[in-house]
Amino acid sequence: MDTVALWLTLRLALVTTAILLVLGVPLAYWLAFTRSRWRTPVQAVCSLPIVLPPTVLGFYLLVGLGPGTAIGRGIAHLLGHPLAFSFAGLVVGSVLYSLPFAVQPLIAGFAAIDRSMLDAAATLGSGRLDRIRRVVLPLARGSLVTAAVLSFAHTVGEFGVVLMIGGNLPGATRTLSIALYDQVQDFQYAQANRTAIFLLAICLVALTLVYSRQRRGNDLV
Amino acid sequence: MSDSRVLPGTPPWLRVRIDHRFGRGADGFHLRVSFEARAARTVVFGPSGSGKSSLLRAIAGLLEADAGSIELHGEPVWRRSAHHGGERNLPPENRRVGLVMQSPAVFPHLTVAGNVAFPLRGMEKSKQRERVLRLLQMVEADSLAERRPRELSGGQLQRVAIARTLAAEPRVLLLDEPFSALDANSRLRLSHNLQIWAREYRVPILAVTHNVEEAFASGDEVLTMEDGRVRAQGAPQDVLASERARLLLALGVTPQRQERTADNV
Repeated sequence: MDTVALWLTLRLALVTTAILLVLGVPLAYWLAFTRSRWRTPVQAVCSLPIVLPPTVLGFYLLVGLGPGTAIGRGIAHLLGHPLAFSFAGLVVGSVLYSLPFAVQPLIAGFAAIDRSMLDAAATLGSGRLDRIRRVVLPLARGSLVTAAVLSFAHTVGEFGVVLMIGGNLPGATRTLSIALYDQVQDFQYAQANRTAIFLLAICLVALTLVYSRQRRGNDLV
Repeated sequence: MSDSRVLPGTPPWLRVRIDHRFGRGADGFHLRVSFEARAARTVVFGPSGSGKSSLLRAIAGLLEADAGSIELHGEPVWRRSAHHGGERNLPPENRRVGLVMQSPAVFPHLTVAGNVAFPLRGMEKSKQRERVLRLLQMVEADSLAERRPRELSGGQLQRVAIARTLAAEPRVLLLDEPFSALDANSRLRLSHNLQIWAREYRVPILAVTHNVEEAFASGDEVLTMEDGRVRAQGAPQDVLASERARLLLALGVTPQRQERTADNV
């Protein structure tokens, strides 16, 4: 198997998952509890990657963050190179592409928390951030695990966005799913089979983990 | 008991003026109350759906009404006018109002001791343990300290919720039928212990009940509510006597028969 591609894939999935948890918790918290009229449109935009062809997302990222725009030039100036065809570009694409897989389970987890728990914590002197840390996150920890596992697995399995933004540079942007595509193009079916089985196993293990947690979650609290 | 009766000239520890509409039209409910509480133990008495719980939630800061003002021990904690919007709104975590709700809301991810220690963050561990144990003893739940909430009965959960609220050292205590899941004897003992605690720490209590007997036994002053309004306020015997007569009348009992039954007793 292409170990360079394997490490790149794992690194990308880990970085993406970490960023998604940091971004996803406040975003999902807001979506779960706000009464703002912006809630519905924001939720729709966040869920877009589920149905959108990844090539569409990749295309707009390429154009929107490319050298043709001010943002793109700013990023290129900061990084020292354009976002496209780089690991940083892959991370940006992966975070957006896997966003719903982190946010949706978190919203469900936060919304399931009994509001009287939060009211009680508030009257006991616990401020907003303290409530999130000591009540919301512990009560939604099953959803946090689900969000992390799904984000990781979904990033490992992405193809279209990577190809559009990252291209196919060994060691920089060539992930396992792209290596698999290359191997098939080169008629290396034995190698392709090993890569495919590995990807399949990651996804199966991830989903088994999520569902076993959900079953146990029913009698957790 | 006379030492906790209302003294003339005592400044009110609570001053409330609330105007709030829940929903619109025929299904809507209009909460419109205005009163001052001076007694160490004031009982709000009224049928379910009369707005008692909403009143407590507003005082605790969990419900922001359309307009009005709330003062605790002379400090304005909330003020809002219908025209100019919010002028002051101290968040619930800064009001130091203890609220024990009917649903105990004991945190399921913490042990009983962990729940009672929840407001004691930052306190030295040994001191914390001592405080938790003392409060659990007061509500007769010290044997449950290491148990998980899912193993407890409704009455046990209510005991834990009371101990947890007292741990936060509130400056006023709001009780929303906190003994509803307890048997009569436990209710009496717990209510007694709570009164001793409140007197020791000089914490006034506003308690909600729809039980006439409880209102009579546990209040220095009674406030009756109906349909979102305060109907009467005063000494229990004055306010509840007319309430009792009204209830009997509503049940079809005539005043004569009422007297005869009173003679028999």
